[in-house]
Amino acid sequence: MLDMSTGITLVRRQSISGRLRALSFVGGLGTGFFITFLVLVSSGVEPASILNEFVVQVFFDLHGLAQATTTAIPLILAGLGAAAAMKLRFWNIGIEGQVWAGAIAATGVAFYDIGPESIRLYVMLLAAILAGAAWIAIPVFFKLRYGVNEIIMTLLMAYVIFQLVQHLLFGPWQDPSASFPVSPHFDDAERLSRIGWGAVHNGLWVALGFGALMWVLLERSKFGYCATAVGHNPLAAKGTGLPVITTIVISVLLSGGLAGLAGGVITSGAEYRLTQFLAHGYTFSGIVIAFLARFRPALVVVVAFLVGGVYVAGDTLKVFYGLSEAIVILIEGIILLSLLVWEFFSRYHIEFVKQRVPA
Amino acid sequence: MLPVATDQIMQAQATMTHALELKAISKSFDGKEALRKASFNVRWGEVHALLGENGAGKSTIMNVATGIYSPDEGSVHINEQPVAVRSPGDAIRHGIGMVHQHYRLVKRFSVAENIVLACGDIQNLTSTSAAASAVAEKAAEVGFDVSAHAIVGQLSIAEQQRVEILKVLLLGASIIILDEPTAVLTDQESRAILAFCRRMAEAGHAVVLITHKLREVLEFSDRVTVMRHGETVLDGADTSGLDVDILSRHMIGEPSLAMDELNASLGDPCLTVSNLVVPSPNGTIGVEGISVSVREGEILGIAGVGGNGQQQLADALMGLTACENGSIRLGENDITNDNVTRRRQAGLRAVPADRFASGLIADMTIAENLAMTRLADGEFGGYFTLSRRTMRKEAEDAISDHDIRGAAPTRQTRLLSGGNAQKLLLARELSGSTRLLVAHSPTRGLDIKACNTVHSLIRKFVESGAACLLISEDLEEILTLSTRVAVISRGKVVGEFPKQEATPEKIGALMMGHA
Repeated sequence: MLDMSTGITLVRRQSISGRLRALSFVGGLGTGFFITFLVLVSSGVEPASILNEFVVQVFFDLHGLAQATTTAIPLILAGLGAAAAMKLRFWNIGIEGQVWAGAIAATGVAFYDIGPESIRLYVMLLAAILAGAAWIAIPVFFKLRYGVNEIIMTLLMAYVIFQLVQHLLFGPWQDPSASFPVSPHFDDAERLSRIGWGAVHNGLWVALGFGALMWVLLERSKFGYCATAVGHNPLAAKGTGLPVITTIVISVLLSGGLAGLAGGVITSGAEYRLTQFLAHGYTFSGIVIAFLARFRPALVVVVAFLVGGVYVAGDTLKVFYGLSEAIVILIEGIILLSLLVWEFFSRYHIEFVKQRVPA
Repeated sequence: MLPVATDQIMQAQATMTHALELKAISKSFDGKEALRKASFNVRWGEVHALLGENGAGKSTIMNVATGIYSPDEGSVHINEQPVAVRSPGDAIRHGIGMVHQHYRLVKRFSVAENIVLACGDIQNLTSTSAAASAVAEKAAEVGFDVSAHAIVGQLSIAEQQRVEILKVLLLGASIIILDEPTAVLTDQESRAILAFCRRMAEAGHAVVLITHKLREVLEFSDRVTVMRHGETVLDGADTSGLDVDILSRHMIGEPSLAMDELNASLGDPCLTVSNLVVPSPNGTIGVEGISVSVREGEILGIAGVGGNGQQQLADALMGLTACENGSIRLGENDITNDNVTRRRQAGLRAVPADRFASGLIADMTIAENLAMTRLADGEFGGYFTLSRRTMRKEAEDAISDHDIRGAAPTRQTRLLSGGNAQKLLLARELSGSTRLLVAHSPTRGLDIKACNTVHSLIRKFVESGAACLLISEDLEEILTLSTRVAVISRGKVVGEFPKQEATPEKIGALMMGHA
């Protein structure tokens, strides 16, 4: 009797080459787009118009490009915020909460006319940063002092602050001239001015500036080195005398501050007031962007721009094809999952084993 | 399918046939040859030692036998019949069981629950009560004292090992492979487990003992196979005609070196610990009032059975754990309340027991790991900037100075072998103005050659006028390296001897609490 059989085993690679890493990234994106394509076709979108809506209308059309850029501005900031904390394995799942905190603070400064008009806008953005940082200071304190799980705490705190938003919008901050729960429109001095290209506003420079700043901080500075060490092995970092607690606190406060700034930029650059919907979905997008960018600030900017494009295309799909708003989240999820699968196969390789067993 | 029937075993055992034979096995990882036509065999009824340095291929060849790796070339035979072992499940069906160095147990589960998890489907032990009675029966049979309802995480390392062995036995293994079973055990526990191996062999099982301790080979094994660089250099020789010199020559190609006297004169007190009390988490033994001092030019060895407060002592000295009481002085300075950074600036350095858990960061580069301690002191740039070029250049020097093999400044530290990772750690810790080294099990898991390198680095360091506190559970290491020996037991120092009076018998008795 000759028993011929094949088996499949996974073998972990000793090291992963840069080429393989790149290949798995491209492969993951490709697979994600392909599945997205299938999903869209099956929900009734013409195959030919998918390319048109997603690529041509968004990235090869000045108007579409401007829309994608406008959408990308807060996404860049939220993505940077997610990256700053996740690099240290501090899972800030409540980014949305800090975005809300920033939006509330910016709106508050505008609502109560705090500070002279000439610097009102700066006060608003600074207040947004501080509010975001303050909102995450609570979970980071509880995490470091009592070991409270930051995933649950940041997430639940996002619900808490959303209640505060509703309280303000249905109460003291409601625009008396509107029947909806929205705050009054900001004055001109409280708005980020447009740069003269679609709806793109000066927040773009704020976002890009923070992108550059975070790049220097995380990739070039001594702080970034400490952050990498703490992220990989906090015990060894402590044992070698690196300032572990300081590094965690600074990174996490930065994370909250950047998310808060995203909230400030949305209110002062796009909505011009506080609404119930403006921070919706930022948690998920921020995390996806940070992950796709491997927590690297320069890549965060690029990925946020692409995700912004997906949002714009999603709006078109929503309006012209009657697809639900969830389609954007679905697409993000599909792409993230296929990237994760490809990453797994860049770490392991499959071996087909043929064994002849004479018995 | 049960290919090995019991009567077949009995028959095979009677004729002393090969229980397991691996013929001309080759295996490469990413083009790097780990095994080159290596062979190994074990007979029924014997303890067969598999000896070799780290990276010689011992674990790899056994992983082939247990179906974790599939060989590129070669064949596996059981009872002189060729078989395919494609998965650990296959191995179990063929009666091969392995007790890994890192136990595969769920710590939050009880012993019985772990048995259900591992053996449930195979042995039909699907309830904890069935598993508990199976555990009790098997434990009684082999003479283990194990409670089936104990939570694994609360058991000592030696007890966890017994659970792991019971698991393998309950799975029906008759060929039992133990991967360095004594690496983390005390002398007494080691002897117990080795005696158990002998009993299993006498009962007819085939026992494979992966080790790099020569004494275990000579005292407890019938035959020995030695591997070097992925090849079999001594294939199943009777241990009766062998001695330590022959074995170590086969293992490393050169005889083991005897240590010369330490060439250092005693200086001022360097470390003075008085009445130190360190609490410990979850009821284990902490430090319960220790006073010791180490002078310059001295290596004080702290001998003791693992888990008697050594970890807490090392952590407290480095500033990783707060002290409850007592004081620590380095030279003239009281460092009791200083943080790690300040202690390091005062000249304190450490080699932790687990180098990749608290010494090195596996996923960062070699240059980054080398720079880590000095970075905290404000080197390689100002408060904000970081000169990676200087880091790389200095790493290149350190790599060539310390002969760290397989290293390049931008390479991941994870890729280094155990011995070279330890050399990297020592290169970092012994650089700069170091006054005291706290070395906790500095040669754990290393082969003889790497061991000798580490020892001579520490000696050279002390001969230059510094001091070393050596905490080790390896008595041989304590006796070869120390100039003075203290014994720790239940968080206290129970005896202190100058080197001349420190005999293994005296220290051993104190360690076991008999004095």
